[in-house]
Amino acid sequence: MNALVRRAPLRSRGSVLPQILWAVAGMIAVVLWVGGSGYRQDLMVLSCSYALVGLGMYIPFIMGGSLSAAYSAYAAIGAYTVCIVAVRTSWPLPMAWILGPLVACAVAVLLGMATRRLSGNYLVAVTLLFGFAFQTWTIDASGITGGSSGMLGIRKLEIAGWQVSRQGLFVGSLVVVCSVAFLIERLRLSPWGIALRGKREIPLAVESTGIPVPALELVSLGFGAAVAALGGALFSGYNGGIHPETFGLNILFLAVFMPLVGGVGTPWGAVVGAVLAVQFSLNFPSSIAKSGSFAFAVAVMLVLLLAPKGVLGYLALLRDRMRRRRSDGSAAAGGKQS
Amino acid sequence: MTDLQLWISALEIGSFYGLIALCYLIVYQGALVFNFAIGGYAMMAGIATSWLATEQGAPVWLAMLFGVVLCVGSSVLTEMVVVRPMVRRSGHDELPKLIAVTAVLFALEQGAGAVFGRGSMPGQWLFDIEPIEMGEAVLDGAALQMFVVTGVVFALVAFWLNATRAGRMLRAAGDNPVAAQVLGLPTDRIRLTAFFVAGVIAAIAGIVFALKSGITFRSALPWSIKGFLAAVIGGTGGAWAPLVGGLLLGAIEVFVPFYLGGASVDYVILLLAAVFFVVRPQGFFARRIRV
Repeated sequence: MNALVRRAPLRSRGSVLPQILWAVAGMIAVVLWVGGSGYRQDLMVLSCSYALVGLGMYIPFIMGGSLSAAYSAYAAIGAYTVCIVAVRTSWPLPMAWILGPLVACAVAVLLGMATRRLSGNYLVAVTLLFGFAFQTWTIDASGITGGSSGMLGIRKLEIAGWQVSRQGLFVGSLVVVCSVAFLIERLRLSPWGIALRGKREIPLAVESTGIPVPALELVSLGFGAAVAALGGALFSGYNGGIHPETFGLNILFLAVFMPLVGGVGTPWGAVVGAVLAVQFSLNFPSSIAKSGSFAFAVAVMLVLLLAPKGVLGYLALLRDRMRRRRSDGSAAAGGKQS
Repeated sequence: MTDLQLWISALEIGSFYGLIALCYLIVYQGALVFNFAIGGYAMMAGIATSWLATEQGAPVWLAMLFGVVLCVGSSVLTEMVVVRPMVRRSGHDELPKLIAVTAVLFALEQGAGAVFGRGSMPGQWLFDIEPIEMGEAVLDGAALQMFVVTGVVFALVAFWLNATRAGRMLRAAGDNPVAAQVLGLPTDRIRLTAFFVAGVIAAIAGIVFALKSGITFRSALPWSIKGFLAAVIGGTGGAWAPLVGGLLLGAIEVFVPFYLGGASVDYVILLLAAVFFVVRPQGFFARRIRV
């Protein structure tokens, strides 16, 4: 994990255009794959929703090195905000899509302040218990959240008088996911991102350069939670409802493992991991479909043990090796550097 | 808080958490890892036993043996395949090991769901124990069995840790792993022993506790997290410390919902953990070492 984090900044500065081209190609491929199939469209929107949760996790966890386990709650906050605004108010729905991430951000910052003296296992335990407690609250506070039956049949998203269809939401979610991943990649290479990644390795060194580490951590937690909440909002907006079990503890496992499976060197790894997670757990051949989540769990173990760089990390390695072979062939003489 | 029946229930749940916390303590002492997969081992033992006995019609003793073997096997494999390479690769860095054991927990949970089914299954009796009437309360067989098992396991582990060679080596490795290695203690073997013993205890705990309210593959994570809490509350000060943490947690889990309503228990536990971890992260009982 560390090798990739250390490798990056200067070298990949110039990769903006290829990144955009890859993203556009990926989006076109997905749209072509979906075709007119409603089922495949559902799968892809779910992947986008998971990808946003994974991207949210990427910022404090992979970049900042602090594992907050409340991501099920953040995604649920985004999802519930859309539903609650749609059912209990007459506010325009786009507001809910902004409000949810803001609320999640505020909750994450408050939780981060309350747990600022905790790290490692203790932080995981408390944030996990927060996730439990939040799920209990969504079932308990039935006057607000619809209780154990959740909220269903919410009104459709309308932007400036134009009602967004499910197809529209699908294409929109692809664009949002790619934009967020692109943004986080830029952020990773920015001075702020470098400070955050430095904090992960040696907090003291970052503190001694004059950057307040606790504030850095809070901002990363808040930003991550907002992105995850957007994923939750996408889920409930697309499916027209939410259930307390939707963002249960399973999503938490996925949120941690998606970036690892996809590759920790870039936020695009979280996107790849989300697509893999959904394909594994829902779109497996029917003979082994029952054990799809188990297959993903096994894949996680294999990646952790044998391939800690993840899918994208290995693709990059392959690309570098091929490039080197090509350049070795053309310029064998002056290529030696020490 | 004078209802005897509630106290019996609190003691039963508390004993179970105490046993799981004891597994945490043993692994922590031997390997300096908080092994979050322990709830997964216990769940595996319980669910495998119930599955073989009820769905496949095997004799109960055979089913239990199968559960124990599966559980201990998972624990030992975790050490050999996951923790050992992690220790080699990243030393005593906390996060990679934490993620790795979490992945084990996830794999155990999903594996149990895929193989043994996703429904709830009843626990299995080895002996039929008649309930004992105590005034207005009834001490049922499941609770009695849990008390006896907890007492025996804790007594054995206390003896093992304090009076045997292997136990002393375990404590030495946990107190200062570098020094232990320099002195030539077999740290790899100590770690393996710790995982083995923890696996046996988790198996017993899971099988016996399944009698209380059945078992599903989803039990793994809550058991892991409650066991961790009990272990932290108790501290690492001695073999009996986890039992104190477990009993306190058990009492909270029974009395808080009784007096404050069902949902409040999760809020109270969250608050307790947040405050306790900050104020006294070393737990109630911590060994003081003079340097």
